Amino acid sequence: MSILEYNGGCVVAMAGKECVAIAADRRLGIQLQTLACDANRVFRMHDKLFLGLTGLMTDITSLHNSFDFKLNMYSMREGRLMSPQTFSSLVASTLYEKRFGPYFSEPVIAGLNKDNTPFLCAMDLLGAAAYADDFVVSGTCAESLFGTCETFYRPDLGPDDLFETISQAMLSALDRDCISGWGVTVHIITPEGVTAKSLKARMD
Amino acid sequence: MELGFLDRPHGAGGVRVTGAALVDELGYSLGCDRMHPTGAPVLTAPPGDAPASFLTEAFRGQDDHALKFLHGTTTLAFVFQGGVVVAVDSRASMGQYIGSGSVRKIIEINPYLLGTMAGGAADCSFWERDLGRRCRLYELRNKERISVAAASKLLANTVYGYKGMGLSMGTMITGWDKTGPNLFYVDNDGTRLKGHKFSVGSGSTYAYGVLDQGYHWDLTVEDALELGRRSIFHATHRDAASGGFINVYHVKEDGWVNISHEDSGMTKYYEYKAQSAAVDSTAMES
Amino acid sequence: MDSIIALTGDGFVMCAADMTNARSIVVMKEDMDKIMELDRHRLLCMAGEPGDVAQFTEYVQKNVHLYQLRTGVSQSTRAIANFTRNELAKSLRKNPYSVNLLLGGYDQHDGPEVFYLDYLGTLHKMPFSAQGYCAYFILATLDRYYKPNMSEQEALEVMRKAIDEVRIRFLIKQPDFLIKVVDKNGIRTVSK
Repeated sequence: MSILEYNGGCVVAMAGKECVAIAADRRLGIQLQTLACDANRVFRMHDKLFLGLTGLMTDITSLHNSFDFKLNMYSMREGRLMSPQTFSSLVASTLYEKRFGPYFSEPVIAGLNKDNTPFLCAMDLLGAAAYADDFVVSGTCAESLFGTCETFYRPDLGPDDLFETISQAMLSALDRDCISGWGVTVHIITPEGVTAKSLKARMD
Repeated sequence: MELGFLDRPHGAGGVRVTGAALVDELGYSLGCDRMHPTGAPVLTAPPGDAPASFLTEAFRGQDDHALKFLHGTTTLAFVFQGGVVVAVDSRASMGQYIGSGSVRKIIEINPYLLGTMAGGAADCSFWERDLGRRCRLYELRNKERISVAAASKLLANTVYGYKGMGLSMGTMITGWDKTGPNLFYVDNDGTRLKGHKFSVGSGSTYAYGVLDQGYHWDLTVEDALELGRRSIFHATHRDAASGGFINVYHVKEDGWVNISHEDSGMTKYYEYKAQSAAVDSTAMES
Repeated sequence: MDSIIALTGDGFVMCAADMTNARSIVVMKEDMDKIMELDRHRLLCMAGEPGDVAQFTEYVQKNVHLYQLRTGVSQSTRAIANFTRNELAKSLRKNPYSVNLLLGGYDQHDGPEVFYLDYLGTLHKMPFSAQGYCAYFILATLDRYYKPNMSEQEALEVMRKAIDEVRIRFLIKQPDFLIKVVDKNGIRTVSK
């Protein structure tokens, strides 16, 4: 097993009409041993910006702490919240700083721009960003997630339909991966606010 | 008397039938070219004088090896006053990918003998099916059922012939014979152990954790079946490579019975969770 | 080879650790205390390489004490856990400590908490946990018998079952376990 697969886990984000949804599984494991079913991989940066991190849990925590700090400093200096585009550049450069000894984590950024259009971005562990307007995936079952998202995704879904779609895509992909699963959280981000939901998933 | 085979115990000799495919005395095709004088089919080993090391290198040496074995599993069996309980999961995992969630890991060798599958699926199912054939031959020759000890010995000896060549099986052979309920663990190294309680597979340690603490000889049949089911359930929860359905069989004096086939991750988890919540709330009220 | 176990109960945390210290095939010491008392209400169960364990845990203990001296208040369990995690994460890519820890503490505001900390810097709060090879056996036992908010008597029963399981199934002989309990009154030893 490679280092990125040591703890397991996956994240997917999907765009709808003036909303985005980001879903992640909740397993924390050491290779094949499951330690906990309530690990957190999706972090709220601010009300219109969410960051999902997969890979090695210690690096997820380190990166999350580092980005929280940088975002808070930015808000204090600039007096405004960081836009998703700027944040994705920040994440990319933070990761590339460690080019020859990288953080073993692959982020997914989901947010709403100033005009409430959705913003999605996925990166590899070195900070190569891929922007998309439909869905982005990351984690141990990324290939399966690509398959299920491709099948279920429709453009311009409302928040409720988007929730259904991303949930089904996630649950189907998780059923084919040993080291992800044990619960799912979904955050749906709309201009009005954020809704967080937990899914009843397979616990084996 | 032809004793040449004693010099070549590792399946290099045997009887060759020219022309048609080899059949045994019952007329069953053995699916191979040669039969060892003891009656086991002989599979062709790679040419050369060290097939074991050649196979190891060819199939295990590289990272992306050609033969991927399905090792993730949890199987258990234990003997108690009411017979033998055998419980297994049903997940087939290849590394981190789940190949199937509904594999039948209990092999019904014959109506009174069961075998479990852990390790290579092909290895287990082929050799246990072959064991079934040889048990039938024994019955016909000796006009009585084969004992579990003898059946497991047949399997262990056969597998020992291929020691080092990369067979992967950790199986339990169980049944009820003249001496009562019996349980043997047989694996690809040629290990054969008689015992009361075994668990095999990547999730076996978790299953032992629940099985050891809940086991005693005088369990009622219901409690024993539930213990088997619960042990597999806890193993599927903690071990990533085990999951799917929990299959439970009960071996009684007149043969085995397929007891249940229940979903572990969806059904059983929420059922047990509700049960313990109900227990907590009644405890608080009382 | 160390076995450490921790679980939360009703207003207390119970920690257990084996007492054997071995070097290759020899048992060096049979009465080792692997549960360090960080302050009046925090226990740190240690497992891993001997030199690293001693150095790192003493470092944490002294820093906890230093904070107390400087500020006059003790850190919360969560703060200590995060401090420890940051130290492990910082040294991971320079000079890694091969130390696995379970931090158990009773906090005035948050109550009893157990934090799992491994050598990579993975931090997670759990109701019960175990480190080492013993985890392979007893996580399922604890899953089966653990209930939230148990009394000390019930928790001791569950802990006994877990230790029993290690004794039956683990290859290495670990006959003695030390059990300590921390609650609002402090730390006491319930020896095995």
